[in-house]
Amino acid sequence: MKKLLLVSLCFLLLSITQTFAQNRAVTGTVTGLEDGLPIPGVTIRVKGTTTGTQTSVNGKYTLSVPEGSTLIISFIGYASQEVQVRGPVVNVRLAMSSKQLGEVVVTGALGLSRTRNQQAYAAQQVSGDEVSKQRGSNFVSGLSGKVAGLEIRQNNALGGSTNVVLRGTKSLLGNNQALFVVDGVPMNNGGPGSGNAGTNNAGANTGTNAGTVESGRGGYDYGSPIADINPDDIESITTLKGAAGSALYGSIGANGVIMITTKKPGKGLGITFNSSVGIGSVDKSTLPTYQHEYGAGYGPIYNDKTGIDPSGYFLIRDINGDGKNDLVTPLQEDASYGHKFDPNLMVYQWDAFAPSSPNYGKATPWVAGANDPLSFFVHPVTNNQSLFITNGGENGTFKLGYTRNNQTGFLPNSNELRNSVDFASTYKITSKLTAGASVNYTRTDGIGRYGSGYQAENVVRNFRQWWQMNTDVKELKDQYFASGGKNVTWNWASPTNLVPIYQDNPYFTRYQNYETDRRHHYFGNVNLNYRVNDWLNLLGRVTVDNYTMLQEERRAFGSVGISAYTRRNINFNETNLDFLATVDKNINNDLNFKGLAGVNIRKNRYELISAATNGGLIIPNVYALANSKNAPAAPTENDIRQEVDGLFAGATFTWKKMLVLDGTLRRDVNSALPSYSNKYYYPSVNLGFTFSELLKQYSWLSYGKVRVNYAEVGNGGQPQNTKNFYSFGTPFGSNPQSFIGLTQNNAALKPERTKSKEAGLEMQFFNSRLGFDFTYYDAKTVDGLLPVALSTATGYNATYINSGTLRNRGVEVVLNGTPVSSKLVTWKLGVNFTKNNNKVLALYTDPSGQQSTNLLLSSFQGGVSLNAALGRPYGDIRGTAFTDINGKPYTKKDDGRVVDATGYYKQSPSTSTIGNINPDWIGGITNSVRVKDFTLTFLIDIRKGGSVFSLDTYYGMDTGLYPETVGNNDLGNPSRNTLAAGGGVIVPGITASGAKNTVRVRNDATGLYGYEHNPAANFVYDAGYVKLREAALSYAFPQTLVSKWGAIKGVDLAVSGRNLWIIHKNVPYSDPEETLGAGNLQGYQSGAFPTVRMFTLNLKVRF
Amino acid sequence: MKKYIWALLPLVMLGACKKDFENLNTNPKLFPTVPAPTLITQAERVLSNTVTSANVNNNVFRLVEQQWQETTYNDESLYNFDTRNINRQMWNFLFRDVLNNLKLAKDIIPNDPTIVGDAVKKNDLAIADLLQVYGFYYLVSTFGDVPYSQAFDSANNFPKYDDAATIYKDLLKRVDADIAALTVASASYGTADIIYGGSVAKWKKFAYSLKLKMGMTIADYDAALAKTTVLDAVNGGVFTANADNATLVYLAATPNTNPIWVDLVQSGRFDFVACSTLANQLNNNNGLIDPRASKYFKALDAVGKVLGADPGVKANYDSFSHAGDIMIAPTAPGLLLDYAEVAFYQAEAVAKGFIAGDASAYYAKGIQASFDYWTAGDATAFIAANPYSTNNLAIQKWVANYNRGWDAWIETRRLDFPVLYKPATGAFSDFPVRFKYPVDEANVNPANYKAASAAIGGDVVTTRLFFDKNVMPK
Repeated sequence: MKKLLLVSLCFLLLSITQTFAQNRAVTGTVTGLEDGLPIPGVTIRVKGTTTGTQTSVNGKYTLSVPEGSTLIISFIGYASQEVQVRGPVVNVRLAMSSKQLGEVVVTGALGLSRTRNQQAYAAQQVSGDEVSKQRGSNFVSGLSGKVAGLEIRQNNALGGSTNVVLRGTKSLLGNNQALFVVDGVPMNNGGPGSGNAGTNNAGANTGTNAGTVESGRGGYDYGSPIADINPDDIESITTLKGAAGSALYGSIGANGVIMITTKKPGKGLGITFNSSVGIGSVDKSTLPTYQHEYGAGYGPIYNDKTGIDPSGYFLIRDINGDGKNDLVTPLQEDASYGHKFDPNLMVYQWDAFAPSSPNYGKATPWVAGANDPLSFFVHPVTNNQSLFITNGGENGTFKLGYTRNNQTGFLPNSNELRNSVDFASTYKITSKLTAGASVNYTRTDGIGRYGSGYQAENVVRNFRQWWQMNTDVKELKDQYFASGGKNVTWNWASPTNLVPIYQDNPYFTRYQNYETDRRHHYFGNVNLNYRVNDWLNLLGRVTVDNYTMLQEERRAFGSVGISAYTRRNINFNETNLDFLATVDKNINNDLNFKGLAGVNIRKNRYELISAATNGGLIIPNVYALANSKNAPAAPTENDIRQEVDGLFAGATFTWKKMLVLDGTLRRDVNSALPSYSNKYYYPSVNLGFTFSELLKQYSWLSYGKVRVNYAEVGNGGQPQNTKNFYSFGTPFGSNPQSFIGLTQNNAALKPERTKSKEAGLEMQFFNSRLGFDFTYYDAKTVDGLLPVALSTATGYNATYINSGTLRNRGVEVVLNGTPVSSKLVTWKLGVNFTKNNNKVLALYTDPSGQQSTNLLLSSFQGGVSLNAALGRPYGDIRGTAFTDINGKPYTKKDDGRVVDATGYYKQSPSTSTIGNINPDWIGGITNSVRVKDFTLTFLIDIRKGGSVFSLDTYYGMDTGLYPETVGNNDLGNPSRNTLAAGGGVIVPGITASGAKNTVRVRNDATGLYGYEHNPAANFVYDAGYVKLREAALSYAFPQTLVSKWGAIKGVDLAVSGRNLWIIHKNVPYSDPEETLGAGNLQGYQSGAFPTVRMFTLNLKVRF
Repeated sequence: MKKYIWALLPLVMLGACKKDFENLNTNPKLFPTVPAPTLITQAERVLSNTVTSANVNNNVFRLVEQQWQETTYNDESLYNFDTRNINRQMWNFLFRDVLNNLKLAKDIIPNDPTIVGDAVKKNDLAIADLLQVYGFYYLVSTFGDVPYSQAFDSANNFPKYDDAATIYKDLLKRVDADIAALTVASASYGTADIIYGGSVAKWKKFAYSLKLKMGMTIADYDAALAKTTVLDAVNGGVFTANADNATLVYLAATPNTNPIWVDLVQSGRFDFVACSTLANQLNNNNGLIDPRASKYFKALDAVGKVLGADPGVKANYDSFSHAGDIMIAPTAPGLLLDYAEVAFYQAEAVAKGFIAGDASAYYAKGIQASFDYWTAGDATAFIAANPYSTNNLAIQKWVANYNRGWDAWIETRRLDFPVLYKPATGAFSDFPVRFKYPVDEANVNPANYKAASAAIGGDVVTTRLFFDKNVMPK
C-alpha cells in the first residue's frame, strides 16, 4: 500500500526537475530489502541539487547525473539511503523503517485512506502478486490460508464458486458471504446456480439451481462473477474483517468486506505483458482406490437351474444360439459384489452386445477392467495472456487492458473461456476538478461444466458410488467413438433390451449431455472529484455492475432419463449512486480531524426467465424449446428488485498521531422490509492508541498499537418475503392449476442486527523483523432474518421470520518474521491462525408461545440433515449413529459399538448429532525465501476438525468398489466367500450385554460396509487437513542483463504449483474441502470432484 | 464554512426521498390470490398422484403388500423406508400440497368472484372438505396421531399432534356435515373438478361410500360407532357400480399423466417385478388361474401364470412378470375409491351384523366389479371356486386392491389376513403396521413429536394404530 501511496504522491512532487546536462545516464531498480519486490514511487534525488526523479510502477528509474555524485533514495516507510554513483546501473535495496510504520497509509471502507495509526479495526492486506502467483481460475481461492479470520471453501468444479466467509457464520440461512468491492464498486458474487442463495448484494436469491446444487440433487455450478477480476490487475486486497471496519457499507458489508484495489497507472508509458500456461492433473489421493478382485453384481441372486453357474452371480442366457447356456455379466447391476475375477471364466460382457466392439458376440475372460475410472480424467490446461498499457501525465492517466483466460477441465469436453477488456482513465479538468471513469467487460463462455451432486450428469458420482470393476473405461471411450457417438453403456438393461438402465456411458454423458453458458459482465464507474480547498473534498460517483447470462442444459436422446433441453436467461443489475464529502483538517498542531458525510443509493434487479421442454425431445440433437414433445410448461419468470437508501457520516480525531477516536453512523432505508421497520441505523466507534509513539527510546520496539471497537450492522434480508403468493402450474387440460408458495412469508419482519466487539494488539520488534497482530472479537447476530423450516403440517416448508441469536467469538493471530535478511538471502515467514467459536444462543418463539430448539437447515439424501440447535454451534450434522452399551448414540468407529443379534450394528434414531461442520481452527504458514534474484514462496494451509458426511462412501462401500470391502476375514478366508465356504465378517463391536460380538455376517452380497447395514455416522469423517497449498519459484532477470534488451524494462519468470500435496487428511478418497457449492450448506459430499494439482509457468515482460 | 454545509444539502434531500418501496418488494410475476377452483384442480391431481404413485420415494405400499418386488435396489421390500425418506414425502404431499391448498381454497371460496351463487359455494366448500377428510384418513391410518386441530395455523409453527381416534371421530362428523351441505340440484366446480366434473350427486355418493369405508375401518376399535356409521352410510346411498368410482382420468401429456407411467415407462427403469406372494395367489385359486393375472401382469409364463420373485430378494427383471399394460398407460385413471371395495365392505358389514343383507352376494359383487374394472370378463366360475368366507373376503379384497397398495396395506393390517411373511433375510423390522414420522418432524417440531411418539407407544413401524386391534399372525 505504501508503494501505491507514493505513486499518487508523485503528482505532488513533480516540482522536482530533471536535468540533462553533460551527465551520465544512470538506471536502476529500487527493491524492498525484505521481499525483494520493486518499489514504485521512490524519490531519487541527486544530493545537493534539485535534480531528481521517481521510480516507475516496476521500481525502475533513469536519471542523468553528474559523474561521482551521490543519490539520496527515500520513501515513506523506508529508511533513506545515500549511494554514490559508480557506474551506469545503481540498484538499491531499501530497508523498512520502523519509525515510520505508523504513517503507512491504509485504505479503509469506501476507499478512504487513513494512516496505520488512525486505523482502529482489524484489516489485513495481501498484495496482488500473492494471489496472482498461484494462477487459479478464481483469484479468490488464492486468499485461502493467507488472511486470519477468512475461511474459503472451494469446490473443484471447473470455474466453480467459492464460499468466502469472514469470522464465521453469522446468518443461519441467509447470506454469509463477504462483500467484494473493486475500486469502490460493490460486486455481486452470487453466481446463478452457484448455490449462493442470497449472495448478491440485494440478498436476492439468484441461484436458479441453488437448491439442487447445494442440497446435492444435481445442477451445475456456474461459478461466481467475482472470478471475472483479472488477478494480474490486482494491486492489493484488503480484508476488513469486522463490522467496525465495514459499517459504512451498510447491510451489504455486514459479513465483512474484501476490498480490491486494481493497479493504477504510473507516470509515463508502461506496458506489461503476461503469459502463463498451466497444466494439471487430478490428485489421486482425492479419488477412490478400487478393489480389483470382484466384478459386477449385487450378490449371488441368480438361481441357475442348469448348473453352469453354481455361484449364482451370473445371468444365464444362450447368447450364441448354440442351445447351451452361457455366462453373462449381470449387466443391469451397477455394483461390484459379483463373481471373483477368474481369467478362465468366459463371460459375455457389456461389449459383447455392442456391435461396434471387437468383442461383439464374444465371451471374454472375467477379469478386472484394465483401466479403472481413474483413467477417465484428463489433464486440465489453462492458458492466460494479458496485456496492460498504462500512461500517466500532468493531467491524466489511462489504463487499457486485455486478458484472455482459457481453461479446460479434468473431465473431457469441458472448457471455460474468458475474455476481458478494461479501460480506466482520470483527467484533471481544472486544478480542483478531476473526472474519472472505468469500464470492464468480461465475456465468459462455458461448455461442459461438471454436473454436480447426485445426478446422471455427474459422472464422478458413478465412479464413486455405482460401478462394475470389470468395466474398462478405455474401452467405453473407444466404443463411444466407434459407434459414432452412441450411448454404448456398460449398464444395459438386459441382453435382450439394450438400453442403458441406470448409468450412461460416461463419455456419452460428457459429450452429449453437456451444458453451455455465456455471461456478459460489465462493471465500472464514472466519478467526479472536486477538491474545494485543502481540507474539503467532494466526490460524486455512479457505479454499475451488470451481467446477462444464458444457461443451456441438455440431455440427449438415448440417455438414462428423459431427453430434455432447459434454458435460462438471467439479467442482473446493481447501480450505486454515491455522493461523498470528506474533510481533513488539522485543528491545531496536535489534533487532526477527518470527517465524512455521504449518500448511497443502491438499486438491484434480478430477472430470470427459465423454460424447459416437456416430456422429451421430438427430434434428436436439436436443442430448442420448440423441439418439445409435449407443450412446454410456461416459463418460470422472476423479477426481484431491491433498493437501499443510505445516509452516513463519520469523524476521526487523531491526537499527536497516536491516539485516535473514530466514529461512524449510517442509516439505511431498505425496500425489503415493511415500511414501519425498514429504517435502521448502525453506529461504530473505534479507539486506537499507538503506544510505541511514547516509547521511541526503545529501539527494539518498532511499532505498537492497541485498538478497541464496537459496531452494529443491520441487515434487511432478502426482498419479497413479506407477502404470500400463489403460482400457476401447467393446466390440467383446460383447467388451470394453482398452489401456494412453499414458504410462509411474514409481514412483520424487522432487520437483523450484528453487534460486534473487537480488541486488538499489534506489535513489531527489531526493525519489524518480528511482529504480531492479535485480535479478539465477539460478534452477536440477533433477530436473524431467515426462512425457518417448519413442520409441513403448517402447510409450508418454511416461514420467513426473525429468529435466533448467533454468536461468533474468536481470536485471530497474525505473526510475521524475517529470520534472515541480507543482500543475498531474505527469508520471511508469515503465520496466521483463526479460532472461531460459534454458538446458537437463542431461537425464536412462535406466536403461540412455543420455543424453537432446533432449526433444520437442510435435509440431505442418506437421511442426514444439517441443523442449528439451541446451545450448539451452527451446522450440526444429524443422522443415525451407532449405539453404545447404554443405548446412547455413539459416533466413534471403535469396539464400543453395539451389535444386535443379527450381527449388524444397532442404530440410534436419525436425530442423533453425528458431527458439526465448523473447524476447530484454521491457519496458514507462508514462507518466502529470496536468494539473489530467485524467490521461493510456499504456503501451508491447515484446517483442524469439522465434519463431512460422504454419500460417496455411503453408497460406494455398499456396492463394493473400495478395497475395504474385500480381503480375508479372521479365519483367513476371503470374506466375500459365502458363509458356508468360510466367508463373512464379524463386525467389530460388542453385544448388548457387553460381550465381544461373535456373529459372522455375509459379505458375498452388497450391504455389509455400506448404507444398508450401517448408520449415517459411519460415513462422517473429520474434515481437517494439512495442505501444501501453493509454491512458486520466481526469477527476476537482473537489471544489468535487462538493460541490454532495449525497450524491455523487466522480465520475471515464475513457475508455480497449486494444491501440490495434501500432507494430511482423514476423509478417504476425497478432498475434505470439496463442497457441493458455495453457500451455508456445507459438510456434505456427493459425487465429490477430485482436486487438481496445477503447475503453471508464468512470464511477465514489462516495456 | 457555512457555504460548504449548503453543499451537503442535496445529499440529505436525496436520501430523504419517499419511494414506493411496497411495490418494489412485490414480485410482479406471482399472484396474490387465485380462483379457488384452480386450487382444487391441483389438489385433486396431487392427491390422486399420492395414492396412485409407484415411485419408490413416495409410495411403496405395493412392495409392502408383496404385490410387487424390487429388482436391484430392494431396500423398501426389506422395510427400509429411511434411506429415501419415504415417510417425509407422503407426509409433505398430503399436508403441504393437498390439505393446505384445500384449506386455502376454503378460505377463498366465500369471496371468490369467479364462483356465482351461495348454493354453489356451499357445495364447493363441502367437496373441498370431503377431500380434506379423505387426505386425513390416510395420514391417521398411516402415522397414527398427527397434527390436526393446530395444523395450517400461521400463528402456530409447532402444531401439536392430536389423538388419532379423536381426529377420526371428528372426520366422521365432518363427512356428515358435508353430506348435509351438498345440494344435488346446484352446481359445483364444473370441469375444474377433475374427479367428478362437478357432479354433486356423485360427490354425495362418494361421501356416503367414504363414510362406509371409515366406519368399517374402525369396526374392531369401536363396533357400536362403526355400526351406526356404516348403517347410516349404506342407507344414504353408497356406490352401486363402477360408474360411481372416484377416478381421476389422467392426460396423455406430462406433467398430467398417470404417475405410474412416469415411474415405470417414461423413466426407462426396470425396478419392479411381480412378487411371489401375489403371484402364488393369482396362479392358484383352487385350481384356477385368476383371470385378472394377465391384466395385472405381463410377461407371464407359457401357461399364463405370473412369475413372481420372492419378497426381499433381489431379482432379475427379465426373469419375472411385470406390471400389465392397463395400469402403466399414461392415461390410466387414478383410483381413489371404487365400487369393489364398497361391496366388500358391505359383505363384511353384513357378516358383522352392522347391516342386513347377503354377505356372499356383496362378496360376489365386489369380485365382479374388480373383474369388470380390469376387463377380466365374467367372474362366476371364479367366485364358485373361491366362495365367500372371512378369509376369502380378505384375500379377494387384497387381490382387488392391486394398484391400490395403500388401501391394501390398511386392510391387511385391520383384517390380519392374508398373512404377509417378512422376507426371509435382511428385513429391517417385522411387517410394518405403521410408518414412522418424518425425521424432519423430530428436528423442527421436537416437543410435539416426542409427545406424540410416546402417546402412540413409540415411533416405530411395529406400533399398531388404534383401529388395528389384533396382532397379525407371524
